[in-house]
Amino acid sequence: MHLFLLGVSHRTAPVELRERLDFSSRDLGSAVEALAARRAAAESVVLSTCNRSEMYVAADDIARANDELVAFLSEFHGVPPATFVPHLFARQDAEAVQHLFRVAAGLDSLVVGEPQILGQVKEAYSTASERRSAGPLLNKLFHTSFAVGKRVRTETGIGEGAVSVSFAAVQLARKIFGKLEGRRVLVIGAGEMGKLTAQHLRSQGVGEIVITSRTLARAQELAAGVGGTAAPWSELMNVLAPADIVITATGSQVPILGRTQIESVMGRARRDPLFIIDIAIPRDVDPAAGDIEQVFLYNVDDLQAIVQENLSRRAAEIDRAEAIVSEEVGKFLAWQRSRGAIPTVVALRQRFDAIRRAELQRLDNKLSGLPPEARARVDEITRLIMEKLLLEPTEQLKMLPDEETQVQYTEAVNRLFGLRAEDSLDYVRGKAAGKRD
Amino acid sequence: MNALPLLFYVAAGIAYAIHFARRQPAAGRLATTLLLAGALVHTFVIGMQTMEVRHVPFANPSRAISTFVWLLSLSYLYLELTTDERAMGVFILPMAIALQVIPTLDPGVERMDPLLDSPWFWIHTSSLLFAYASFALAGVLGLTYVLQFKEIKKKQLGYFYTRLPSLQVLDVMNSRAVTVGWLFMTAGVIVGIIWATQARAAAPDSARLQAFSFGDPKIFVAVLTWAVYSFAVVARRAMGWHGRKAAWVSAVGFAIVLLNFLPINYFVTTSHSFGN
Repeated sequence: MHLFLLGVSHRTAPVELRERLDFSSRDLGSAVEALAARRAAAESVVLSTCNRSEMYVAADDIARANDELVAFLSEFHGVPPATFVPHLFARQDAEAVQHLFRVAAGLDSLVVGEPQILGQVKEAYSTASERRSAGPLLNKLFHTSFAVGKRVRTETGIGEGAVSVSFAAVQLARKIFGKLEGRRVLVIGAGEMGKLTAQHLRSQGVGEIVITSRTLARAQELAAGVGGTAAPWSELMNVLAPADIVITATGSQVPILGRTQIESVMGRARRDPLFIIDIAIPRDVDPAAGDIEQVFLYNVDDLQAIVQENLSRRAAEIDRAEAIVSEEVGKFLAWQRSRGAIPTVVALRQRFDAIRRAELQRLDNKLSGLPPEARARVDEITRLIMEKLLLEPTEQLKMLPDEETQVQYTEAVNRLFGLRAEDSLDYVRGKAAGKRD
Repeated sequence: MNALPLLFYVAAGIAYAIHFARRQPAAGRLATTLLLAGALVHTFVIGMQTMEVRHVPFANPSRAISTFVWLLSLSYLYLELTTDERAMGVFILPMAIALQVIPTLDPGVERMDPLLDSPWFWIHTSSLLFAYASFALAGVLGLTYVLQFKEIKKKQLGYFYTRLPSLQVLDVMNSRAVTVGWLFMTAGVIVGIIWATQARAAAPDSARLQAFSFGDPKIFVAVLTWAVYSFAVVARRAMGWHGRKAAWVSAVGFAIVLLNFLPINYFVTTSHSFGN
C-alpha cells in the first residue's frame, strides 16, 4: 500500500485556477463521497483551502490512482485536464508524509506559521472520517499530522508574534494587561482600522468599548457594529479617564491629545497603565505622551515594525520546525514499515496455531481421560509456549529498517515456515474491507 | 546526603534554563519535577537535622541559609503551581543554587545555645526567613517586570517579551509577595524585640544581650529592610507606586536583605552570632 498525494497549491497554480479547483466553496462532503465512489484508492482524504486543493490517497497502484484523481478533478469541477495538469504536483510515500506534516505545521503556508491551516487539516480529515473514506493508513497519517502541527507550534516560535497591525496591537495589550476581560477600551474616530482593532479586542473579551467621534452619528454606527456605546465628542476627557486601552484613528490634521491632557488622567488614583494605540496618519497623540510613566504609546509605524520583526523571527525558526517535521516523518515511516510486517506476523501466528490445534486434536483420545480443568490447562500451556516462541520474531519483524530488508526477511520466513504469501495478504485485505463495511 | 538538595537544584536550574531559552514544555515539566524532588529531599535533610538538635536548625548562618533556600523553593513552587507560569524559575534557581553551596560546603550542625531554648526563637527566625523568601520572589518579579517594561516602553520587543508573563501579572504577584513578606517580617521583628527584652531582664550581665541595639549592624539593616518594605506597602496603596516604581523598590529591598544575610551575618554582627 502506497501513500499518494496529488493537488495544486499557491506554489504551483495561480489563484484563478485554484478557485476553479476549490472544493471547500462547494460541498467538501459530496466531493469526498464522489471520490470514494470511483474506487480509485482504498482510502482518501480531500484537503481544500483558499491556497490549496490536495487529495491524499492510499493505493496499491499509484499510476492508476493518479489517472483516476485527474479524471475526478476534471469531472467534479468541470475543468478540462489540459488546463490544470501542468500545475499539479504529486508526492508519494515519504514525500507525501512530509508534505502533509509541513502543511499542518504551517510551513507551506503563505504566511509561515499561520494557525488556521491546522484547523482546516482537521476538518478535511473529519469530513473524510465521517464518510468512512479514511482507513487505517490515513487515520494514522492525519492524527500524526495534528500532533506535528501542535508540536511545531509549541516548540518553535514559528507561529509566534502577530503578523498584522491590529493583531500586534491586541498582543501588546495582552502583554501589558494580561487577560483583557473587564478592560475598558476607548476608540477615538470612526475609521476602518479603529473598527478592526476594536473587533479584535472584543473577541478577546474586553469589558466595555466606548466610541467617540466628531460626528456622533458615525460613532453610533460603529458602536452598533462592534457592540459598544457611543459618546459625544465633548465628553472626550471624561471617557478617556477610565480607559485602559485607547485607539485613536481620526482624520484630524493636528494632534487631538497632548501630553498634559494624558498626564491629567494618569493621577495617583489610577492603578493601571494606559495603552494608547495611535493608528492615525498624521498622528493623533503627541509623541511626548509616551514619556509618561505607565503610559505605553504605539503608533502605526511602531506596530508595522513589530510585524516585520515577527515575520523575520518566524523565518528564523523555520529550520527548527523542519527538523521536527523530518523527525516525525521518520517515526511515521517506521510505523508504516512495522505495519508492513503484519501480514507475515499474522500468517506465522496462524501457522503455529494450526500446528498446535492439530497436535491437540491428534492427542484428543489420550487426553479424554483428564478432567475438563486439566484439559483447559493443557490448552493454555501450549498456547503460552506458542506466544513465547513468537514474541521475539514478531518484534524483530516489526523493527526492520527498510523495505528491502523487509522483503528478504518475509521471503525467508515464508520459506522457513512454509507460509504462502498470498494468504497473509488476503487476510489483511479482508480485514481492511471488513472494517469499512 | 547534604549535597543531594544542591544536586537536584542544579539539575532543576539547568532544566529551567533550557525551558526558558528553547521554550520546550517538556523541559519545563521536568524542571518542576526536579525542583519538587529537590524540595522534598531538602525537607528530609532539614528534618533529620531537626531531630538531631531538637529544634529547627537555623541558629548558625549556614543552616539559616539552607532553611531559607528550602522556603524559597517551596514558595516558588507555590507560585508556579497557582499561576502556571514557569518563566521565573530561571531567575530563582541560580539564587537558590548559589546560596545552597554555602551550607553544602559547611555541613556542621550547630551546637544548641541555651539562650535559644525558647519558643520565641522558632517563631522569630522562621517568620523572618519566610519573609526573606517572599522578598526574594518579589525581587525577582520586580527585576523581570523592569526588564519587560523596558522592552515594551522602548518598542523593542525582544527576548523577555516573548517569554515572560504579562506586566499586570508580574505586578500583582510582586504586590502579593511584598505584602506577605512584610506581614511576616513585622511579626518576626516584634517577636524578636519582645524576646530580647525578656532575655535581657533575665540575664542583665550577658555581653551579647547588651549588643542588642540599633547600633548592631544586623539589627540596623533589618530595621532598614523593614522600613523599605513598609514604604513599598504604603506607597503602592497611597501614592500610586505600582508598576515599575514598586518593582524597583522590591529589587532594592532584596539587595539589602542579601547584604544582611551574607556578609553581615558571617562577619559583622555581634548580637546574632550563635552556634559558630
